[in-house]
Amino acid sequence: MKTILIAIAFIGAQLTASAQYKKAALQAAGLTCAMCSNATQKALKTLPFVDKIDTDLNTTTFILHFKPNTAVNLDQIRQKVEGAGFSVATLKVTANFDQVKVENDTHIPFAGQTLHFMNVKPQVLQGEKEVTVIDKDFVTSKVYKKYSAQTKMTCYATGTMAECCQPGAKTAGKRVYHVTI
Amino acid sequence: MLKQLFLFFAFTGAAAAAQAQELYVYTEPASNMAVNSLGVRVTSKLFPMDHVDYKGYRLQPEVMFGFSKKLMLHASTYFSNMMQKQFEFEGASVYAKYRFISLDDVQSHFRMAAFVKGALINNPYMPPMRDHDHAAKPYNNEELDLDGSSSGVSGGIIATQLLHKLALSGTVAYDRYMRNTKDEMPLFFSKNALNYSLSAGYLLFPRKYKNYKQTNVNLYVEFLGKSNLDQYRRNYYVDAAPAVQLIINSNSRVDFGYRWQLYGNMDRVMDRSFLLRYEFNFYNIRKQQ
Repeated sequence: MKTILIAIAFIGAQLTASAQYKKAALQAAGLTCAMCSNATQKALKTLPFVDKIDTDLNTTTFILHFKPNTAVNLDQIRQKVEGAGFSVATLKVTANFDQVKVENDTHIPFAGQTLHFMNVKPQVLQGEKEVTVIDKDFVTSKVYKKYSAQTKMTCYATGTMAECCQPGAKTAGKRVYHVTI
Repeated sequence: MLKQLFLFFAFTGAAAAAQAQELYVYTEPASNMAVNSLGVRVTSKLFPMDHVDYKGYRLQPEVMFGFSKKLMLHASTYFSNMMQKQFEFEGASVYAKYRFISLDDVQSHFRMAAFVKGALINNPYMPPMRDHDHAAKPYNNEELDLDGSSSGVSGGIIATQLLHKLALSGTVAYDRYMRNTKDEMPLFFSKNALNYSLSAGYLLFPRKYKNYKQTNVNLYVEFLGKSNLDQYRRNYYVDAAPAVQLIINSNSRVDFGYRWQLYGNMDRVMDRSFLLRYEFNFYNIRKQQ
């Protein structure tokens, strides 16, 4: 049992090493003032996987550069923005893909997480690509409503895997990030 | 010349109103400060007093803390020469604000928050008579507040709308005044009062942000009203309170404001006052969860 765990850990580590989030462009909503922006930036800086942050104060956009070989948690990014008193308007993540085949409404294991691609044409992702997270609270409520109308899958509303994803699978309850290209 | 200068300011003001500010000087916005951040503030008020030949001065050191994204607390102490024979410690207050609605969009939001405040004050309700003060004039005051003049509690609602060009905020609060630690409240005071305010603010400079080191200049206009509610004591006032604010280094601010009575029939000692405030913010002072 222990060996299996170690083996899984190793595979996981290797997957993380090859498939990686490089950076993210985060636009925050609900603020204009420099003091608010500074509070948000300072909160984002406390994330262990964030290396450095470039800020565009005029558009309230933060470019987060991630540390290499460190697990990136997108939910924690959202929580930091909310903790500063604001919310995420858009989160565009740049990641390194290696021959990843995507189709509409498919799950792709990526960097230790699962990505659910929505509103995409079948394609193969290769090299650095930008994906936009469209989960609840990662987009404005208007955009979220728009995407909600397009899918009947309950996993989009909850952000966790459900029967709709893989009938009979035991992965129910696992976090799945919904993304589009 | 003066007219041209005025027009120039009016135009720059209108053009720069592209981004609005809600760090109001005389009221609180419905937004909260960042979680795990600590703010330290010193507010001083200077005001003429009709019944004596010296100026009144009140100092209010204050700390603020963001407990969660929805809850923040303020704690204040008060020092003044207004009601005592000399400059003295007057009491303290605590204030808690809970944000319960937050609708965000890019560069705009609507928020609502509820707050409660409690104050414990050690002042008399009438200033002491001075020895051999033959020049003393009558002291007429029907105004109470929880910022140094009376113990009591308050609760209210704040709504703040940040639009691309304008930040508006309104507050309605009910005050209940109680006896001060050593003194009973004289009968002519109203124990119940309604506070209401309307505030607007905008960013004058910089026209375009470059970095966090730039000093920002914000302008505010606020209208602050109070109505005493008790029978035979029903009187009111509405004050105008314009203010200028400097945001320095994106972590501290300096406020300068002047407040005076526009309308009203309430006897007041502090019917006009200057305000000067300095605030510094420490971000992420507690380790994250």
